[in-house]
Amino acid sequence: MFIKKVKIHNFKCYRDFEIQLNEGLNIVVGDNEAGKSTILEAINLVLTGIISGKSVWNEISQYIFNKDVVDEYISSLSAIPMAPPAITIEVFWGGNETPIMNGDENSDRDNDAEGFCFKISFNEKYAVEYEALIQQGDVKSLPIEYYEITWTTFARDPITTRSIPYKSCFIDSSEYRYQSGNDLYLSRIIKGSLEPEDITSIAQAHRRMRDVFINDPSIEGINNKINQDASLTDKKIALSVELGTKNAWENSLVTQLDEIPFHYVGKGEQCVVKTELALAKRSSQKAGIILLEEPENHLSHSRLNQLIKCISDKYAEKQLLISTHSSFVANKLGLGKVILLNDHRIIRFSQLSEETYNFFKKIAGYDTLRMILCKKAILCEGDSDELVIQKAYMQLNDGRLPIEDGIEVITVGVSFLRFLEIAECIGTKIAVVTDNDGDMDAIKKKYEKYIGMNAKEHIKICVDNVVDTGMLKIGISDYNYNTLEPKLLKENSLDKLNRIFGTNYAKEDDLRKYMKHNKTECGLKIFESTEQIAIPEYILEAIRW
Amino acid sequence: MVNRLIIAAAGSGKTTYLVRQALQQSDSVLITTFTIANETEIRNKFLELNGCVPHNVTIQTWYSFLLQHGVRPFQGVVLKDKINGMILVNEKSGKKYDGKYGPVYYSEEEYKEFYFTDGMKMYSDKIAKFVCRCENETNGRVSKRISRIYSKIYIDEVQDLAGYDLDIIKSLLQTDSDVTMVGDPRQVTYHTHNEAKYKQYADGKIEEFIRAKCKKTNCKIDKETLNDSYRNNQSICSYSSCLYKEYDETGTKQFHVTGHDGIFLVRPKDIDLYLKEYKPMQLREKRTVTVNNEYPVINMGESKGLTYDRVLIYPTKSMKSWMEDQAKELKPRTRSQLYVAITRARYSVGIVFDYDEKTIIEGAKKYR
Repeated sequence: MFIKKVKIHNFKCYRDFEIQLNEGLNIVVGDNEAGKSTILEAINLVLTGIISGKSVWNEISQYIFNKDVVDEYISSLSAIPMAPPAITIEVFWGGNETPIMNGDENSDRDNDAEGFCFKISFNEKYAVEYEALIQQGDVKSLPIEYYEITWTTFARDPITTRSIPYKSCFIDSSEYRYQSGNDLYLSRIIKGSLEPEDITSIAQAHRRMRDVFINDPSIEGINNKINQDASLTDKKIALSVELGTKNAWENSLVTQLDEIPFHYVGKGEQCVVKTELALAKRSSQKAGIILLEEPENHLSHSRLNQLIKCISDKYAEKQLLISTHSSFVANKLGLGKVILLNDHRIIRFSQLSEETYNFFKKIAGYDTLRMILCKKAILCEGDSDELVIQKAYMQLNDGRLPIEDGIEVITVGVSFLRFLEIAECIGTKIAVVTDNDGDMDAIKKKYEKYIGMNAKEHIKICVDNVVDTGMLKIGISDYNYNTLEPKLLKENSLDKLNRIFGTNYAKEDDLRKYMKHNKTECGLKIFESTEQIAIPEYILEAIRW
Repeated sequence: MVNRLIIAAAGSGKTTYLVRQALQQSDSVLITTFTIANETEIRNKFLELNGCVPHNVTIQTWYSFLLQHGVRPFQGVVLKDKINGMILVNEKSGKKYDGKYGPVYYSEEEYKEFYFTDGMKMYSDKIAKFVCRCENETNGRVSKRISRIYSKIYIDEVQDLAGYDLDIIKSLLQTDSDVTMVGDPRQVTYHTHNEAKYKQYADGKIEEFIRAKCKKTNCKIDKETLNDSYRNNQSICSYSSCLYKEYDETGTKQFHVTGHDGIFLVRPKDIDLYLKEYKPMQLREKRTVTVNNEYPVINMGESKGLTYDRVLIYPTKSMKSWMEDQAKELKPRTRSQLYVAITRARYSVGIVFDYDEKTIIEGAKKYR
């Protein structure tokens, strides 16, 4: 079984939100504040009853409700009062393995749906108190003291998190951890990887340890002493160990890594260990989801690489939901698994071709997410192109860098078409700045899916339509007059470029040779120059668009 | 689907058999029965034989099963409101008002009043009808869902199901689950059903229903497996079998001899003496029957499922006339009551009956 769909209503930033999940791996990508963590939090909440590391019963507050809804409710009270808002989170199972949760009590009105609904809602038992409260007026916040929390299957059967046959394991790097004592999540994870009989053995060993302690002669002696001193009461006073609950061991045992208590180990290492434990193959019936929040935090590149490898090798039987900012993580685990969160809406990459997935998987360094997350991207071939485009942008926009306006200039080498395939899925504005390399027909062929009849509204191919020619040869082959450098020379004079580069070539061909062999150097000089540079029209076109 | 209806004689170890069967299953098992008393007995039998109820076994009363799996999953076809459980009714529910010619009831179109109390509790006599409605309006999803949850379904005391219950049984028989029904048509002691539906199959005519209406479900009818009594000795078995000649005579596996074994007529004037000598459990039709209150007593209707070494029955008038002439008409309910009363005892059944030297009652001896 797996989570097929989650519907979130009135929880934090989500008013009405629906996300479909794959059976195995899912990667949620989105800008800061896009609501990535809220999705993970919501899933963890409904499966465990825990939010921000604490039981949800103690954590109900107005702040976990959607702000707009709360505002609407409060302001409605002075006019026509709305009913107190409720948080609803529905989980739909995939796999047809949970007939007991099959029923029509779901917001899809689907008779075949299997799942359950988590609700934080007004408890009708308090109707009288609530009525009094409303009549008094002066309600400034949600009356959460009259709220209740319920889990109900689609078959209208009340359940507890214990009876949900699907566990969640939330691995995040945030700080709301109990600083003292055991890590709640870690002990959950370790417990999850044990068989019931193992857990019983631990509990029994713990009990024996306690008995040994109480019966130790020195403790007995001390207890006698205490009793002699305490004369004002005739009750027996004794030092003992808390009998506690059946899971007392969870609170008094500490997990160690190389003899260091777990919470003293670095955050990055904690993340790796937790993930590995969570992924470990474990006993029969316990299916579950692993929620991994921004694994790139606290991890070096090579450690991240190991973690990702561990994930992609072992996730097979588990459902995984990873939130990330890192292109590396996304590329490596597969762009096909990416769920892009934009403005609380969802975009997927399911229609990418196999080769493109594999390409980005192998060459995972590409900044695919930069393109995915920006407002507009300009794709170019090399570093020198990028520098010139940045310069051009600044000249046109009062010295602002494109990134300051949410525009990314991305060097993609020869992989334009791979990036364009992604661009087609996401609908972000993408301009391609490319050389014509002296063969306009080849360019037209290469980009045929994006020009003329097939032009896409959000994709623009910018190329110089003029094919320049000349006699210069480099070695035995012809010099390419149709790259950025010769085009720059065409727009600006020999003198001006000599001045900018600090060179002193008498002939244009010599400068051409110099520029060809020092592309990045020249690009930097142009970028840093205080002079106004004339920019070829096809580049300006990409910027103005 | 392997479906079976097992006709069980009184004291044949029905519960033990059922629990043993269930313990052999590794799939998920549902055991459902009509009364809470019998549900408890099944639970206790599990404790006795296995120490606990295995995790793959669910035991529920018929009503609780219907509410959870019949009503709630697809109640949306009728209404969305929360249903707050059910209320047991002993007569037709949903009375609108008392009319000139008797009570007037809500029609099914007024579904809230028809099915529910003001507090949204469902009337027990309407649950099965509601379930059938859900089943029909969801194209059989109710039974399909149940079948996906439980691959083995055991229905105990099946003779107590009637009316729309029978349609539910029919639906279950058509699913992939293996359904085993066990019951004794001779022990229909009461009905909370006043449903006009399937009137012809009331009073324990479950076998006839299966034969007539469930031909395609391939349900086998087994009258051998549970036809021997571990409780009653041979004379008790023989005498009780006289009440239902259409069934084979019950055999016995109880051979203990006590010196006072079989059926005995006890004159009213000998009652105290008899009670003193043998300490039988007194069985009466209802509270208004005079008994010796110094000795324990129980109503026949409540004795179902219980076992005593000896009983003393205070028969009704019609029971007495049946004893005198077994060809005499006896109402199904009374016949069943007498059958239950007789089959409570291991060794001896005393029947209060005034006799003289000339009296001859077939199958019974005289106490003095």
